[in-house]
Amino acid sequence: MEQELNSLQALAGESLQSVSSNEQLEEFRIKFLGRKGEFTSIMKGLGKVPKDDKPRLGQMANAIKKEIESLYSEKRAALMATSTGAGSDSTIDLTLPGRKPETGKLHPVTQIMNEVCSIFESLGFSVAEGPDVEHDHYNFEALNIPAHHPARDMHDTFYVSDSILLRTHTSPMQARIMETQQPPLRVIAPGKVYRCDSDITHTPMFHQVEGFLVDKDVSFADLKGVLTIFTQKMFKKDLDLRFRPSFFPFTEPSAEVDIACVMCGGSGCRVCKRTGWLEILGAGMIDPEVFKMVGYDPEVYSGFAFGLGIERIAMLKYGIDDIRLYYENDLRFLSQF
Amino acid sequence: MKFSINWLQEYVDTGELTPEALADHLTMLGLEVDSVDQLFPELENLLAVKVVSVEPHPDADKLRLCEVDTGQETLTIVCGAPNVRAGLITAFAPVGTVMPGGMKIKASKVRGIKSFGMLCSESELGLSESHDGIMELPADTEHGQPLLKVLGMDDLVVEVDLTPNRPDCASVIGIAREVAGITRTPLTRPVEEAELEHNATHFKVDVENNELCPRYTAKLIQGVKIGPSPWWLRKRLLSIGLRPINNVVDITNFVMMEYGQPLHAFDYDKIAGKQIMVRNPLPNETSFTTLDGEKRDIDNQMLMICDAEKPIAVAGVMGGLNSEVTEETTDILLESACFNPISVRKTARKLNLGSEASYRFERGVDPGGCVIVLERAASLLCEIAGGTAATGGADYFGGVRPLNSQTLRISRTASLLGIDLDYEKMADLLQSIGMRCKPKDDDTLWVNPPTFRVDIEREVDLVEEIARLVGYNNIPTSLPTVHLSYPAKDSKREIRAILSTLLADTGFTEAINYSFVTEKHADMMQLDVDDSRRTLVHLLNPLSEEQSVMRSMLLPGLLENLKRNSNFQKNAVKLFEIGKVFTPQGENEQPIETERLTCILSGRRAGECSPLYTDDKGVDIFDAKGMAELLLETLRLQGCNAKDSVTFRSPEGDECETFAETSQCLIIDSSKGIVGQLAKMQPGIARNFGIKAEVYFIDLDFDILCSLDAAEKNFQTLHVFPAIKRDIALLVPAATKAGDLLKTVQTSKEKFIETCEIFDVYQGKPLAEGMKSVAVSVTYRSPTKTLTEKNVNKSHNKLINLLTSKFNGSLREG
Repeated sequence: MEQELNSLQALAGESLQSVSSNEQLEEFRIKFLGRKGEFTSIMKGLGKVPKDDKPRLGQMANAIKKEIESLYSEKRAALMATSTGAGSDSTIDLTLPGRKPETGKLHPVTQIMNEVCSIFESLGFSVAEGPDVEHDHYNFEALNIPAHHPARDMHDTFYVSDSILLRTHTSPMQARIMETQQPPLRVIAPGKVYRCDSDITHTPMFHQVEGFLVDKDVSFADLKGVLTIFTQKMFKKDLDLRFRPSFFPFTEPSAEVDIACVMCGGSGCRVCKRTGWLEILGAGMIDPEVFKMVGYDPEVYSGFAFGLGIERIAMLKYGIDDIRLYYENDLRFLSQF
Repeated sequence: MKFSINWLQEYVDTGELTPEALADHLTMLGLEVDSVDQLFPELENLLAVKVVSVEPHPDADKLRLCEVDTGQETLTIVCGAPNVRAGLITAFAPVGTVMPGGMKIKASKVRGIKSFGMLCSESELGLSESHDGIMELPADTEHGQPLLKVLGMDDLVVEVDLTPNRPDCASVIGIAREVAGITRTPLTRPVEEAELEHNATHFKVDVENNELCPRYTAKLIQGVKIGPSPWWLRKRLLSIGLRPINNVVDITNFVMMEYGQPLHAFDYDKIAGKQIMVRNPLPNETSFTTLDGEKRDIDNQMLMICDAEKPIAVAGVMGGLNSEVTEETTDILLESACFNPISVRKTARKLNLGSEASYRFERGVDPGGCVIVLERAASLLCEIAGGTAATGGADYFGGVRPLNSQTLRISRTASLLGIDLDYEKMADLLQSIGMRCKPKDDDTLWVNPPTFRVDIEREVDLVEEIARLVGYNNIPTSLPTVHLSYPAKDSKREIRAILSTLLADTGFTEAINYSFVTEKHADMMQLDVDDSRRTLVHLLNPLSEEQSVMRSMLLPGLLENLKRNSNFQKNAVKLFEIGKVFTPQGENEQPIETERLTCILSGRRAGECSPLYTDDKGVDIFDAKGMAELLLETLRLQGCNAKDSVTFRSPEGDECETFAETSQCLIIDSSKGIVGQLAKMQPGIARNFGIKAEVYFIDLDFDILCSLDAAEKNFQTLHVFPAIKRDIALLVPAATKAGDLLKTVQTSKEKFIETCEIFDVYQGKPLAEGMKSVAVSVTYRSPTKTLTEKNVNKSHNKLINLLTSKFNGSLREG
């Protein structure tokens, strides 16, 4: 057996000399070190040797196996070095472009919409969608904007008939949801809205997200807290923001929320009309009249509502300077986001 | 609403406040400042100069050569104005000035003499209509100074974007009142209080309906001389962009801007019967000519100011031509009234006639201020236009509501706002803007808002005032305490998100098109005459024909997008849109809104992938089919034993869209009805949209798609035993459907068949005419043992026999 082992060692050394490829090396490994290889078959004889010789032969076999294994490892390393080393296959030009699978893009409005919704969903708001073509009642009356109210001037409305119109904001969902559900409520309503207005900063269709929260003891301070979280998540910076009084017939007190201009950082530029601030949100405490119309007791419940324009946020986040680009669906535009 | 800083300072001391700080304060009080601009910036370079001497021009009769002292130098100017004379102080535009009309002043020769600038008339400066020669400044004006300074117009004009609830701020005094609240300084008004003795000495007033006209006051001013207004008055009007006309009109406009109360001046001599009647038109009064010379239709809902015979003004909107103040007018009846906001708004809407007056009446004017404003205007008419005010006048106030007193609960206010403010502090804040407060009980204030705050009607209006005066930014931020709940998820939203992401990840870009489109789409798509998608929801007031109806399908929009992209040399376009389409119902009913998912594919299959690795082959129907399969598999509606499994089949009857190629169209069908179809667009339809390339589409009813029950994910044991693959090359008649072959294999009862797929279809030489070769690969496997050749051969031979006999084919040799 001793002899067999010695000659195996010699043979292995010799065989390895002629190995020049990974395939040959693998054949070598199987032949000498494999489960059914030569070494294993010699070792099967270990059971038959005299008991006294066993430890010595065992040690010897182990040493030889290690020797062959280390020869094998060396050879493998050597082969690896030559195959990746300079000059081995210089015809591969890795500066050529990758074989990239083709992909498309979601519309920037969808991307921002998803981002906005996910911030509020993380705060436990549910999402509801409503009709684009609305009753005058939900778009105006139920939001405390009766016929002939000057606030209707703020909404250039497309009409389909006397009482049917294209919603001018997503706020009708406030009335629709409160009409059928009881507080506590935390809801956002994203969707398309329409106003007959078209220029470089207005398209007759755009997207809004309406949100509202109704419960006992909800305060204006809570409104500020929630919208501060939203704004900071949306714009990713510790942006300055300010709340200033405004007017919406369905909220009181009403507020507009400005962020420090993302273009100039607040020093004043064309985009912020030299004010250093950009308006991004309208909000307020839900007006008691709105509660009364849906049968909530304003002495028991209070709540806040807010609305924001998606296109405007996309413009500010991405620096888009012409709102009309959104609906031309030019791939040169869409593929940028 | 515009005002100038100098004007504002007539009523309130702005103290240390810079114009920027003032603007910021106003914005934070809810009076959003839109802009703060230099007044007449285009006149910045002009100077007040003195004409030293005037000589005739040697070569022109009407021109003169003037030596002009600019304070710095003496220049020669050629001037044609008749009033140019030595000693005159006038306006001078130096070389380089760009005039308001856009003309640039150059040093140029006029009839051979070089002129170094221009002496200007008021009209050239945009200050008046007067062409009567160059501007004449007072003789004591210091020459060499900037013209704007000399004119007192080195001023800033501020524009405020007023919200509809604050008509009281549609005046300079209204703004000043808010500023006084900020600076805590007193407000001074030219007339603080006034009384009007009610008599009928010179005219009578009848108000038919108190609701429509809560207050009507009027006064007679006699012996007025119509003429241009003095400079100070014209300056005020010019500073806010109003055109001076004559002293009477200018005074009414000025006082309206000052106090916010619209006024109207009638020519007293033109008032028949010396009687004013505030009433609706009589049946025979159907038209009326307003001041602007337009003859307008009136109806019996409109409130008119009439004399004994006829209407003479549209109440609160515009005066009539028949009672207009003209050059000859000597006696003026001045009206200061309060009209019902809704009535004025309806009338102005119907007449399509908005004015500064109607703007204010629509929002509400101060019923308590009419007489004060009347007095202010009367005194100006006496002072400036040389009139004399007749004693007393008319004052009807039958519709003025009693003072509106509110209660404000301190604790309620604090909890609604989330602030900690006590009784004294709240009262102090309200008093700073003229609200009278007195205690009711420990927690409640009685508050009397001033009459000009027509917006304060409820407790919550006072809460808002408190918030505004505290400053929104001084209110703390907190987060609401809420009960935990798991928000309901809208499965449609989830499916939309899954499919959008899948489409985008596989090369489709999302488009969003307008919901309103042109009516022409139906014809461009060649829809059948009775196609329901020709019944459209029409807008009553579209912006254009291009956007006049709500869409009934998404494809036309996507085709337009394709056209646009091909204009910009995009040779591979894959777009999708998920959006609503609209089906009209009854006239005053909402249309039915359903959602569709539509994809279009056109051009190079490999898209933008490098041509290094890909070829330029265009997409075909199998790209559309494959994408549809992927969408359905992703939703687990196909290929996974879904309950509502979706299948593709050939169109029957008229199922194929009229714009699709019948030979390349598949209906996507489900147990809940047809989900949609995928097809090749007829080239003629594509051409209607200007597209020459082949176009394929997938058009799905997203609502049905979402209603289908997806298969649950269900684990299948992994195979332990190896499979055996066998290929069959079948020669079959060319009309044989590959799908039928596959189905036959799949449904055959032969043992061990696991899967089969088609890996080649060939037609042409050397095969016989009318025949094709279909190569099918069948995989055999047993879940319980390793299959032997013998096991498989038996099944495989039977399968070959089945196929050849069923499809009238044979095994292809070689």
